[in-house]
Amino acid sequence: MATEPRTSPDTPLLAVVAALLEEVATASIVSEAACEEFRVRYLGQKNGLIPKLFKRIKEVPPQNRREVGQQLNALREKVRKRLEEAKGALPAAPKQEMMDLTLPGRRAGPTGSIHPLTQAMRTITHIFKRLSFSVADGPEIEDDWHNFTALNFPADHPARDMQDTLFIEAPDATSGGVMLRTHTSPVQIRAMVQGKPPFRLIAPGRVYRNETVTYKSYCVFHQVEGLVVDEGVTMADLKQVLFTFARAYFGEDVELRFRPSFFPFTEPSAELDIWWALPDHPQGGRWMEILGSGMVDPNVLEAVGIDSERYTGYAFGMGVERPAMLRYGIEDIRAFYENDVRFLAQF
Amino acid sequence: MKVSNSWLTQYVQHPLTGKELGHAFTMSGLELEEMKTFGTPLDGIVVGHVLSVDQHPNADRLTLCQVDIGEADPVQIVCGAPNVAAGQHVPVARVGARLLVPDKKQPGAKVEVRIRKSKLRGEVSLGMICAEDELGLSDDHSGILVLDDNAAIGTPLADYLEARGICAADTVLDIAITPNRPDAICHIGVARDVSALCGVPLQRPDVRIPETGREAAEHVQVDITCPDACRRYVALVMRNVTVATSPLWLRRRLEAIGLRPINNIVDITNYVMYECGQPLHAFDYNCIAGKRIIVRQAASGEQVTTLDGKQRVIPEDSVLICDAEKPVAIGGIMGGANSEVSTKTTTVLIESAWFDPSITRRAAKKLGIVTDASYRFERGVDAKGQAWAAARAADLMVALAGGTPIAGLVDCHPRPVTMPILDLRPARIEKILGVRVPTSAVIRILEALGFGVEASGEALRCRVPSFRPDVEREIDLIEEVARIHGYDAIDKPAWTSLPNMAPQVRSQDRLRDSVDQQLVGKGYREIVSNSLIAKQEADRFADPVLGVTGEIVETLNAVSRTMTTLRPSLLPGLLRAMGFNVSHGQVALRFYEFGHIFQRSDVVDTPVTGYEERESFLMAITGPDAPTGWDRKPRDVDFFDLKGDVESLLEVLRVPDVTMAAHNEATPLTDYHLVIRSEGKRLGCLARVRQAIAQAHGIRLPAYFAEFNWRLLVHQCGAHLERRVAPVARHPVVERDIAVVVGNDVAVGPMLGTIREAAGTLLRVVDVFDLYQDARIGAAHKSVAFSLRFQADRTLTDAEVDHRVDAIVKKLCQQYGARLRQ
Repeated sequence: MATEPRTSPDTPLLAVVAALLEEVATASIVSEAACEEFRVRYLGQKNGLIPKLFKRIKEVPPQNRREVGQQLNALREKVRKRLEEAKGALPAAPKQEMMDLTLPGRRAGPTGSIHPLTQAMRTITHIFKRLSFSVADGPEIEDDWHNFTALNFPADHPARDMQDTLFIEAPDATSGGVMLRTHTSPVQIRAMVQGKPPFRLIAPGRVYRNETVTYKSYCVFHQVEGLVVDEGVTMADLKQVLFTFARAYFGEDVELRFRPSFFPFTEPSAELDIWWALPDHPQGGRWMEILGSGMVDPNVLEAVGIDSERYTGYAFGMGVERPAMLRYGIEDIRAFYENDVRFLAQF
Repeated sequence: MKVSNSWLTQYVQHPLTGKELGHAFTMSGLELEEMKTFGTPLDGIVVGHVLSVDQHPNADRLTLCQVDIGEADPVQIVCGAPNVAAGQHVPVARVGARLLVPDKKQPGAKVEVRIRKSKLRGEVSLGMICAEDELGLSDDHSGILVLDDNAAIGTPLADYLEARGICAADTVLDIAITPNRPDAICHIGVARDVSALCGVPLQRPDVRIPETGREAAEHVQVDITCPDACRRYVALVMRNVTVATSPLWLRRRLEAIGLRPINNIVDITNYVMYECGQPLHAFDYNCIAGKRIIVRQAASGEQVTTLDGKQRVIPEDSVLICDAEKPVAIGGIMGGANSEVSTKTTTVLIESAWFDPSITRRAAKKLGIVTDASYRFERGVDAKGQAWAAARAADLMVALAGGTPIAGLVDCHPRPVTMPILDLRPARIEKILGVRVPTSAVIRILEALGFGVEASGEALRCRVPSFRPDVEREIDLIEEVARIHGYDAIDKPAWTSLPNMAPQVRSQDRLRDSVDQQLVGKGYREIVSNSLIAKQEADRFADPVLGVTGEIVETLNAVSRTMTTLRPSLLPGLLRAMGFNVSHGQVALRFYEFGHIFQRSDVVDTPVTGYEERESFLMAITGPDAPTGWDRKPRDVDFFDLKGDVESLLEVLRVPDVTMAAHNEATPLTDYHLVIRSEGKRLGCLARVRQAIAQAHGIRLPAYFAEFNWRLLVHQCGAHLERRVAPVARHPVVERDIAVVVGNDVAVGPMLGTIREAAGTLLRVVDVFDLYQDARIGAAHKSVAFSLRFQADRTLTDAEVDHRVDAIVKKLCQQYGARLRQ
């Protein structure tokens, strides 16, 4: 291959291009060095033949410039293609140094995690969202009316005792006092006072009980409350929604028991139990109560100004900790509040 | 409440096994908590007839008995009992029988013994004559059990006992009683449910109630001065009683349900209470001064020594039962020691009264005692059952204690009750339950439960029985129908229609999801900490730097001293979690938490007046920035690590118009901090935890946190949740770098703002890419290098960009004394 073009500066550009096309097509490129030499000769920024030719395009009469430009572009494409082919045909370059691909990757540190209680509450909430429930919430400091009276707790109900409720203002002759809510049910009352039927909501939240802290009870825990009020809502609807929930949460084949119970704010009331298999148990397992529920008591509807003859509804409430402990095999409820990274990292 | 199945069958002959009965209870509202077997089946133990008793040739204390056990030949049994005698009918454990006998090595425990053919001191023994304790019938080991003379020889002992009301192997079911079932705290009440469930009739014992007055009125005069607290007081007097141990059948009944037999009189009152639910009390009549019973409310400071030997100060307004001189019992709760039945007692006064639930509950609460009586009165005893219960106890005292009743009874009844009559609409049942219960079934259920039912037009007119004070409304009747008809009979609809309402998705939930995604990806772990902390801790963290300006909120009746006060900030819980982990060898910590924080407030529109409760969001870091790697050494995180995470988070959430004001001065909680605002509203702060505070929590490396008012943050983002896409700029970006020298004390943050302002809309991005000092610049100055990216929706000319850069430099010179570095 000649080092100089076989054309003189006077040769018409098209002829030069044609000559170069020929040259490019026949050039032999067999080494890495040859590749580089080929590239510099034709494409080099400073003295490459093709860039030089592009600069000469202004010498061409304007009516021919278009054609010359196209030819030059074609030439450049041809050069690139040859170069690519030649490189591909080269034998693989010998490795200069061996990279140890087995070294561990560079990591910023462990990924974070979402607390198991939050995860449990979300799982529950998500199931109900798919059943067309909205999410609501309410304050943790509550007054007597929302926490007890409107929920049909009789004046001297044991739940109102000092020993169960954490009070902030003591009840007296004129008021029932201010307390930390003992359940998420006051959210039902707040929702019904603020809006008009129909209601279809779920309310996850934190509740408080004046309980000694042990491996199975804590003074702070979490509940998820549900409320549906509309015309024509029946206990059969309640049963269906709860069974659907339980199957979604605990598995399609879970064994369920829906049985009568008592709560001041629902009537008839019901509890839902699941059969929990325990290999070491003499009966092979036992029934675990997972939620309380029932038809909203007419007194509750009347307390918030809803016509209990026209509207019926159901409510339910479940603890979050206990099912989560069952699911994850957590023995001590305090583990949730210790925030040990070695515990959190497992979620 | 413990239910003995054998006792229950006295009132209802149901066909259920123990397990089926437990299930039936649970599924009709009396949840089975535990089921146990009481006693042993006594297999292989038969009635034997002792034909002869001879001295054992080789042992003084043993005898050789020839016993007929209904087989072809009598068997020889070696016996050690002192009371064995020829002619007796006795229980014999045959060879092969298994007995649970008291363990001599371990008092209270039992061991299984298998009866074998054996030789005792050289004499063959083919069985064992048993004492009560060896049969598991009682603890009595004074001698063998001697049976009635008419006992049929060879019959199983269990059959012999059964015929005498003694169940060898009973099933005892412990059921939970909900507050709406005061009627179910006794065997007859539970039997009524079983009767309704199985369609088997309920049989109550035949009791003849004596006439009011007569001779009894001469023996006792009853006055009630507090008819609201005590609506009715029935008294009955029984003479010539012999206080002794109760017969085996009665002791067995009481023991089966966990009661300790005391003597026949006390046992009878307990038996009747567990039979019909009416608490009774037996006084030693001779201890009642003036033949008078006065029921009155306690005055302040009165004292009574109760049956358990404790002297108690009686709460004011609780009920006292007094004689002519002194209190003799606390009404509805416990009798007094001064009138207790003892072995010397010959005449008994039986009290059968009705005490108000609320008054009883308050009194028991204040006294700190729960008795079988108070438990029942608190829930509501049958308002009409007093005379029946007293008469029933009297009948038993005649039979078991040899008593002679004094004719008549005293019935002081100032406030008779009228039970309501309620209308039940069958259509309403379907509207509530979603299932049609045939009206005939409704009537059958309610009648079986003791309601009087009469059809009246569309509705059923239901007379509520006096033992169901909880039934006051139509819905209560529907519940009764539902629980007996069975919740299993409520069919789930085959399909559900969803209500015609769109579920709302709250912006706070969407934003929370974003935060979780961001922070988890960056290695933060969510924590959940207790909202109750110690007061001194709350006081310390109620600081303006955390946005707390109100007083802390304390509880009145704390669980413990470390949990008295509601947290005013999430910071104390975070520090505790960090300290806990550091002490357990975890040092690289990135945490975040969402939770409510509390303070007192004058703001009136809070959900509960006087209190401000906010949802707070906190993130915090401490320790090395990354693990040690094969090509990298970690460094400790610093303020700018957290600041970067905060900035990018606020950017992802699109919090509008964020400003951060620097405060280099220390506060009690922070070494330095930034106050973060959005549109001028304080969102929160970003700070280094005051070193002393961190160390006090056991955190050795510097710790940084940022706490935000989450609700305000959500509110600020609200308008920016909807995305509008701007066309992607297709024109080239022009990049320029400038470096300026400014005084050491000039803050760089504001310079960025100045640059943006001076550059106008063409400047898309400005950042600091270098910051250094060297000898050439001098110790009083620093060099700051900014990278600038300009772009417009057209191609920018160099001249345009140069013009902007000049304007920026000029402004920096004017405002910060900056000098452009060449």
